[in-house]
Amino acid sequence: MTAPGNPNRLQPIHVAMVVPVQALLIATIFLPSLYVFWLSLNESSFGVAPKFVGLRNYVEVLSDPYFWRAFVNTAIVINIVVYVELALGMAIALLFAGGIPMRKTMISIILAPYAISEVAAVVMWRFMLDPSIGMVSQTLTTLGLPTIEWSVVPAHGLTVVCALSVWLHLPFTFLILYAARLAIPADLYEAARIDGASGWKQFVHITVPVLMPAILVAVLFRYIFAFRMFSEVWLVTGGGPARSTEVLAVYLYQEAFRYNEFGIASATGWLMVAGSIVLAIPYLRSLYKRTLTDA
Amino acid sequence: MVLRGLVLTAIAVWSAFPIALVVMSSFKPARDIFVFPPTWAFAPTLANYAGLWLRWPDFFRTLGNSLVVTLGATALAVIVSAMAGYVYSRKRNPYLAGSAFFMIFVRLFPPIVVTLPLFPLVNALRLNDTHLVLIVLYATFFVSMGTMILKAFVDQIPRELDEAAMVDGAGVWGVFRRVILPLSAQGMIAVGVFVFVYAWNEFLFAFIFTTSAAKTTPLVLSEMTGAVDGVEWGVLFAATTLQLVPVLLFVLLTQKYLIAGLTAGATKG
Repeated sequence: MTAPGNPNRLQPIHVAMVVPVQALLIATIFLPSLYVFWLSLNESSFGVAPKFVGLRNYVEVLSDPYFWRAFVNTAIVINIVVYVELALGMAIALLFAGGIPMRKTMISIILAPYAISEVAAVVMWRFMLDPSIGMVSQTLTTLGLPTIEWSVVPAHGLTVVCALSVWLHLPFTFLILYAARLAIPADLYEAARIDGASGWKQFVHITVPVLMPAILVAVLFRYIFAFRMFSEVWLVTGGGPARSTEVLAVYLYQEAFRYNEFGIASATGWLMVAGSIVLAIPYLRSLYKRTLTDA
Repeated sequence: MVLRGLVLTAIAVWSAFPIALVVMSSFKPARDIFVFPPTWAFAPTLANYAGLWLRWPDFFRTLGNSLVVTLGATALAVIVSAMAGYVYSRKRNPYLAGSAFFMIFVRLFPPIVVTLPLFPLVNALRLNDTHLVLIVLYATFFVSMGTMILKAFVDQIPRELDEAAMVDGAGVWGVFRRVILPLSAQGMIAVGVFVFVYAWNEFLFAFIFTTSAAKTTPLVLSEMTGAVDGVEWGVLFAATTLQLVPVLLFVLLTQKYLIAGLTAGATKG
């Protein structure tokens, strides 16, 4: 296909250097996912030979109220966390870009939750929110307000999950927006000021449009990653009470590993893959253009 | 000015207070842990750490497991990403472009999906509860981002350096070893930080694929939070502190690379 002497001609060594990455992805993610697709068309359970049932698992999943409960919970949680993170991350990025005292220390402090595991974060938040000993609950009681019953009231449980998730992932959103904001040349704002544009006008007409690619990256990545959320929910509510706080990944886990419904779990898995791809369409489209125009 | 100070304080409290509270409380005597409002004046004690040693001797072994798994996954991901990043940076052809697209595309699949077929497979291969399973899984879920980050870093290295080395008789591998690796060290550290933090903290795969021999620290922490006979908060704080302090220090020390990697990987990948 390419003439000899072409600088883009691949030698065997080049191929050998790409193979390990591709082999890991194919063996650990791609082939297992294809197998999951086949499983989703079969009725199967751990240790039992699968039996082909066509799309029946998908019909069963889509008529299971617990699936829809998990779907709605996932939709609520990801929309809350993504936009709260975006608003907070943007506000903090702009505040920091305006110049603040002890900038380096403040950035380290904001970054700190990035290093914390979901499990450790759950320990912290459960302690602060414990209905009897937690300081948040005690403060609420002192103020005469009702406490947060996160293990009893589903809405409270999901609120804690959202707070925890924002806490863990705000550093990511902040960093992306802050780096992009620092890259905006100062003379753009200078020119706007000379033209008499107010702070709000500068925000709407300069900051937002110039930051748009970074905003899209932050929002898209967080959508894709929040969509697969498992640990936060599993460790805070376990999906309970009565399966009312499950998100899709928890629903899948329960079907597979508690109820041994591998067919149902596989169908859920492929619905999740499809969901992730739909969420990522704008990203995939730009990636496709870039990688192939590059070639 | 005052308002800005208040806002900055609020941001700092939001981010750091939960961490500080747990670390401080791990040194508090039992009676001070539940004092409300929380007290910062207390006689520090190692009693909670002693309690951890006595009641959860397993915990310290799992720190070792976490370290082995983390170092293994980090090394594997960095090495394979560096090799691939070099080729993706220097060569353009339709097959490579297609495989780059595939690399990112496959990374969109939620990790929990692959546990379904891997669980029986890993059992059949007798690899369940081994370090190897976690090392391979953790590395795999970061090689896409790692390759894109390293491609972005290698793109910055002038091709003239490759050509000069080739004139001196270096082959492809020689150029990679002697030119690319040293000059993309920052990128490799950036990738290493991401994998390290992920592998040290990961819960889902550890929860599904390990039971005792290869159990990692986050898993024991979750067992301690769910202990049937009530949570022993002091001991749990000691364990949480030991789990989070190493990785927190690591992130703070390498944050320069983390920021460089994130901007290179997320905006270009």
